[in-house]
Amino acid sequence: MITSRRLIAAFAATALLSSCASDAPQDTWKPAGENAQMIHDLQWPIFLVAGIVGVIVLAFIALIVVKFRDRGQAMPEQSHGKAWLEYLFIAIPAVILTTIAIPTVGVVMALADTDDTECIINVTGQQWWWEYDYPVSADGTICGFTPSVADASPIITSGQVVIPTGTKVLLRGTSRDVIHSYWIPRLNGKRDMVPGRVHYLRLQSETPGIYAGQCTEFCGLSHANMRMETIALEPADFQRWLDNELEPYAAPVDGSLAAEGEATYIAQCARCHQVNGLVDDRGTDDPSDDSLVVSYPDQFVYSGAAPNLTNLMGRNTFAGATYDLLTDECRADVWEADPSEFGDLYLEGVTEDCLNEIELREWLRNSPAKKPMYADPEMLTETDGKTRGMPYLALSEDQIDQLIAYLLERK
Amino acid sequence: MFTTGSKLLIGSSVLALLATLLFGIFDGGLLGSVALISATVALSVLAGINVFTRDANVGSDETESFGGAAAASGRPGASMWPFTIGLAATTITLGLVTYTAIFVLGLILLMAGLVEWLVQAWSERASAETGHNSEVRARMLHPAEMPAGAAIGLGVVIYAFSRVMLGLPSKTSTIVAFSVVAMIVLAIGSLIGSRRTISAPAMTGGFAIAAVVLVSGGAVAGLNGEREIEEHNTTAYYAAKDQCGAEEISADEHASQTVAGKASSAAEIFLTESGTIEFQMPGDSSRRSDALQLPRSNPNNLLMRNESSEPRRFVIDLAEGYEGSPPRMCTQIIEEGGVQLLTVEFAVPSFAPEVEAVGGYRFTVPGVESASLEVVVP
Repeated sequence: MITSRRLIAAFAATALLSSCASDAPQDTWKPAGENAQMIHDLQWPIFLVAGIVGVIVLAFIALIVVKFRDRGQAMPEQSHGKAWLEYLFIAIPAVILTTIAIPTVGVVMALADTDDTECIINVTGQQWWWEYDYPVSADGTICGFTPSVADASPIITSGQVVIPTGTKVLLRGTSRDVIHSYWIPRLNGKRDMVPGRVHYLRLQSETPGIYAGQCTEFCGLSHANMRMETIALEPADFQRWLDNELEPYAAPVDGSLAAEGEATYIAQCARCHQVNGLVDDRGTDDPSDDSLVVSYPDQFVYSGAAPNLTNLMGRNTFAGATYDLLTDECRADVWEADPSEFGDLYLEGVTEDCLNEIELREWLRNSPAKKPMYADPEMLTETDGKTRGMPYLALSEDQIDQLIAYLLERK
Repeated sequence: MFTTGSKLLIGSSVLALLATLLFGIFDGGLLGSVALISATVALSVLAGINVFTRDANVGSDETESFGGAAAASGRPGASMWPFTIGLAATTITLGLVTYTAIFVLGLILLMAGLVEWLVQAWSERASAETGHNSEVRARMLHPAEMPAGAAIGLGVVIYAFSRVMLGLPSKTSTIVAFSVVAMIVLAIGSLIGSRRTISAPAMTGGFAIAAVVLVSGGAVAGLNGEREIEEHNTTAYYAAKDQCGAEEISADEHASQTVAGKASSAAEIFLTESGTIEFQMPGDSSRRSDALQLPRSNPNNLLMRNESSEPRRFVIDLAEGYEGSPPRMCTQIIEEGGVQLLTVEFAVPSFAPEVEAVGGYRFTVPGVESASLEVVVP
């Protein structure tokens, strides 16, 4: 009896404690946009109905177990079938399920609607990060915003998708390698991203802030590290972000550590990672020797893509949003910022003081040690030598210093 | 007095000798002659040994040997395993000069026959009670025999049925045959279900007839061969082979593997009546003609529609020299109002110098000067 009481107490305590998580950014019970709110409004009554049904069924089971337990009484008369009871047990679930199905189908249809889209963003999954590109509309706008530069190029970024608040965003998604699944719990439900197919997911946030998500389809070794964040900015802040993304490339000052970093980047990183506008002067002052640096990740990476690092420090995560580019204090400042101040803090990007240099340095030193990836040359026979994720580059500490100085200016 | 076994072997020897003589007189082939002479000699030797040993019968004066003599034991039951092993030996020999699969089949048959024969021989001497011996054998072998037999039976049924289906002259007749067979099965099933009892011989007979019909039909259909099945390759198949000549090749219309691609394309591209190219992206209801943006290093399924009044094809030049990127891709000729699926993968972005050198990525339509659509790959 004592054991049973202890078991019940342990179960109750576990149930109670599990509901006490305070730092739970991926909480589906805290909707932050119209789409998530629709799901939330549906799941509450359904959980209520399911809970009541569950309690009734469990109560009946308990009653039967207690009332008809074996006390040495005579075996009761055995019979089979009671038509009216069977009809009742069919009718009650049918009515409950029909009642639930009507609003559920309505919400499913509403979440699949694409007619009211105000902003389209392409998202592509690959092992183990998400890439986003913002198409330019026929009228030259991006997401309904007019860029400050004429003939704007499409914006391409990764890890964090930036959306304007109060805007009906449609993610148009696919995958480059295996099936992934996109889920930002506070903004909408899950959507699988299947190679060769195009899938849609509505996103909308009314409040500026960061909304965390997670790949929810097992996709290989680092599935648990395939994260994503949605950044919702006020329209004015979104315009600032947009214009900043389209700024032309700014080369480091000659002779600086960052300039050395640029050369190291071209030698070590540029074959996979693109920095838009980066030019290789080939060590001469003759402009005719200059050549645009273009990455060819399809020759080295199985998925054929690597994150674009043009504005790396404009976002505050790296390695598929696995690690923060900000220190814990700076990260907390941004995550916990008042919505009215969030835009300014986010757009400040990563400063030298706030850079999470320890983890970035560790990543550059040996990335497969920081995030499990298929990057061991001896295990790449099936992919013909192509890695899944970033390989070990054997960079020296000096090269890492140079690269960090260079990357700090990429915002 | 000759024993039964001796009579059989002596008769066989005489027959072999006669066959040898007749073969030598009327045919005279070397190989056949050698084979028949060898058979005659072998059978004669066996007959001689058998006569000498008197079929291992015990003489009437050796009374102490009666108990252990073969004649004192119960008669062994009929056995199909010697025949199976003979068949296996033939199959193995045939397999040695034909196909490995037949050789392996012969080996499996040989192993199965040996095991069965050994167990049967052992079980028949397990006790003096025949029923018990039979039960012992069943307990030993049924766990292997039942699933193997079921698998073989099912395989024969499926194979015979598939031969019949593939042997029928057209898809329509296949559907009709399928429907007729299904109706017959349903009718027989209903008949059996409606009766209170049905005798085992009737059931066995019915199934035996069905099996014979099916296996015979399969054999006949298999010997006749499959009907001619036209192979339809996809547009992507032809595009990957860079078949952009003047040839007109039917593609896509019947290629079932493109159904999934068509159901979820990255964009629809239209050659309009006015000779321009427009596109429509998923999630965007408007048709545009400015610049189509597609992701890099990703197979993009594009639905190419010809709304003009003449058969046309779409062409796109890609950067040369990269893995997975032929220099040019194109659809086959698309009839007026027709549609084809084209899967295009861009290995390098639009701003790469080698792409800019060819004027960027651009869909064009040969013979229609005004038809041009820029493709932007970020």
